Amino acid sequence: MAAIHINQEQFHQLVNENKPLLVDYWAPWCGYCRRIGPAYEKIAEEYGESLVVAKVNIDEEPQLAEEEKIEVIPALVLYRNGQAVDSVVAPESKAMIDRFIQSALEK
Amino acid sequence: MNQNHVYDMIIVGGGPGGYTAALYAARAGLDTVILEKLSAGGQMALTNKIDNYPGFEDGIDGFTLAENMQKQAERFGAKTEYAEVTRMDLNASPKVVETSEGQFLGRTLVLATGANPRELGVAKEAELVGRGVAYCAACDGMFYRGKTVVVVGGGNSAAADALLLSRIAKKVIMVHRRDTLRATKIYHEPLMKAENVELRWNSTVEELIHGERLTGVRLRNSVTGEESVVECDGVFVSVGRKPATELVQGQLELDRSGYVIAGESTATNIGGVYAVGDVRTKVLRQVVTAVADGAMAVHAAEEYLAESGQ
Repeated sequence: MAAIHINQEQFHQLVNENKPLLVDYWAPWCGYCRRIGPAYEKIAEEYGESLVVAKVNIDEEPQLAEEEKIEVIPALVLYRNGQAVDSVVAPESKAMIDRFIQSALEK
Repeated sequence: MNQNHVYDMIIVGGGPGGYTAALYAARAGLDTVILEKLSAGGQMALTNKIDNYPGFEDGIDGFTLAENMQKQAERFGAKTEYAEVTRMDLNASPKVVETSEGQFLGRTLVLATGANPRELGVAKEAELVGRGVAYCAACDGMFYRGKTVVVVGGGNSAAADALLLSRIAKKVIMVHRRDTLRATKIYHEPLMKAENVELRWNSTVEELIHGERLTGVRLRNSVTGEESVVECDGVFVSVGRKPATELVQGQLELDRSGYVIAGESTATNIGGVYAVGDVRTKVLRQVVTAVADGAMAVHAAEEYLAESGQ
């Protein structure tokens, strides 16, 4: 399954559901965000069963980015039961995203 | 994935050198896999515009060029795995590559891991990349037209960056930790002559001052211990490059700077192992020279496979 693009309203709905939510905060002008793109789509395929894998364009959702205190992108945040569990900024490899997800799910 | 499958060629690194090797290998009918840790392109993926790769009259952004190279190689059957390599045994037969996605075996191996700019090692540096911190004047210099920039470093590439920026920016402040440049003489005179270039000797960057973007740097004079703040819009870090050769240390012959010793044939000291692109010892590190290496490596690998009867 491909990563889904969500807005503020969808975020507030998804973040409170049973399935943990992974969000990639990005913007079209951010070069490193593009670099993460292909690996993030792969993550969406591999973790589709256990996670909702989503993307938020912070240019389109500035209010949400502010609410969630996103100051640097790309930032990946894992949410469970409405709460941010952990985050990682500008991961260097797909393997690093894998490790981030696994350790965040254990928290 | 079948972990006992033996590929004809494993390519480590998905930059222009790696994907050109993949294209040539796949077209030659070799069973080929590219191991890339994040996404195609390597260093060029972060370059906003490439104007010196022929065939694109209006230039092309590095990420798109990389994606195109990937698609082109994949059209002929090359396969990409988003895998981080953790260990390589290049002397084994077949060659063994252990990764975050399991083990890969190959009759030949192309090392295309590239090089990375050396960082300053100052707090917040990584976060400010693209927001005032840059590593490539030729790539990002145009964003600083009429602005004030700091260039850190004293070697040839720092001097070349300072000169290039002096033609674009309002003011260039070159910061070097010694009291003399390491750059060759040809750079000295034009640098000294350029009216908008100021040199700060014996100085190191202690802090990146920023709001949303970089607004200045705090310098420390290593002789007097004096600190000063320089307001600027950008900092170009040009303190050298480091090749990504940690995983082949002790196996491949490296030069003093850590680059893999290989000539134009790209052949290394181990049979069936080739070094392409920025990771190889060479005079000019560019996209065009990396893609040339990729083609050469496949030519050499085909000969190796034929000779060794594999």
